[in-house]
Amino acid sequence: MPLDPAQATQRFYELIWPLRSEVLRLAKILCGNDADAEDLAQETLLKAFAGIEGFQTGSNARAWLMQILRNARIDRIRSDNRQPQALSLEQADLETAAEQHSEDIDAWAEPEQVMNAFSDQQIIDALQDLPEEIRLTLLLVDVAQLDHGDAAKILQVPLGTIKSRTHRGRAMLRQALLPLAMEMKLVK
Amino acid sequence: MSSQTHHDRLDQATARRLAKLREMPVDTSRLDRLIESRIPPPHAVPDVVFRLRPLRAAAAAVALLAIVGAMIWSLSGGAAQASPQVLAQFHEELVSGKIPAIRVDSIAQANQALAEQWKQAVQIPEIPSEHVIFCCMRQIQDKRVACVLLRGMGDVPVTMAVAKARDMKMSGGEIRAYKGLLFHIYSSGRLNMAMTERDGRWICLISQLPVENLMEIAGEIRF
Repeated sequence: MPLDPAQATQRFYELIWPLRSEVLRLAKILCGNDADAEDLAQETLLKAFAGIEGFQTGSNARAWLMQILRNARIDRIRSDNRQPQALSLEQADLETAAEQHSEDIDAWAEPEQVMNAFSDQQIIDALQDLPEEIRLTLLLVDVAQLDHGDAAKILQVPLGTIKSRTHRGRAMLRQALLPLAMEMKLVK
Repeated sequence: MSSQTHHDRLDQATARRLAKLREMPVDTSRLDRLIESRIPPPHAVPDVVFRLRPLRAAAAAVALLAIVGAMIWSLSGGAAQASPQVLAQFHEELVSGKIPAIRVDSIAQANQALAEQWKQAVQIPEIPSEHVIFCCMRQIQDKRVACVLLRGMGDVPVTMAVAKARDMKMSGGEIRAYKGLLFHIYSSGRLNMAMTERDGRWICLISQLPVENLMEIAGEIRF
């Protein structure tokens, strides 16, 4: 039975409203700037409201919202006719394979200590160097802590692709942070 | 250590650092205004108290929750300013269970749990009259802030945020005195905040309770 407007509003404020901080946080990390992030978060929440009737009670509201956020992001990039600034996925395939072979893991002698020395903003800035789909994979898996199955559905890729992109993305993030780590004398 | 083992450690450390981005505070006040202007909230929004009523039955025993120490993460030395919006977000996320939190049975257990993770964890003070339910570690700018969720008067949830006094600054808000303590009073939406400093610690109580109740709770804190 379709929801009347009052029911739809009630449902939105019960199920979706409490997740708005997470939506905004992920939008900030994905977009890398506050203005785009607020626009994306607003659009995501409005689209969630518009589609609230289609959301099944008991299913994963966070995963559902992440799907909407991802689709809204794609729409915005297409409508802006923007080309992603970061490395393309194809180029990343070639470079990261080589990087993983030659990654100077000895430089990261105390990985936990080094990674914790970076501020949130430094991590977010470094993430902007990654291809959009790899950045989004890390957001869904490592930041939002969705399981690989949900992430695969959202990104419409096989499960194995999520696993490989996660590992590649983490290596690429370290590569992006390495110059800063050397500047901060955190690594050799 | 084999290079594969070291690579696994690197990978896990990277994943853990990314996971901490979940704790990054965000200010939703502008987003809230935009959404509420397009989708007016219903008049009868379920009170958060109803969500906690089942806990009252389930958690009859007194359980005090862990203390989360604040840690200094940056070398800048500059104190952080906690905005009412950020503090409101801490409260809402803790109440709604959206962020990872620790449940413990006593303050001593909580102190121990925190000390195991953060060697310089600040001791959270006792509040004899309140039941502690959850705790977590948050961050304001580059300063760590411990948050505990208390079951306050009439089962209304109260979040107590604790940090080292030198890490936080208090400015603005209405200044009020209560039983010899000075408070900075703020509000954000339906939430009230009472902020004070005692015994080298910055403390802020956040709740829908009236400000007078928050100041009364603060007055019961034992250092």
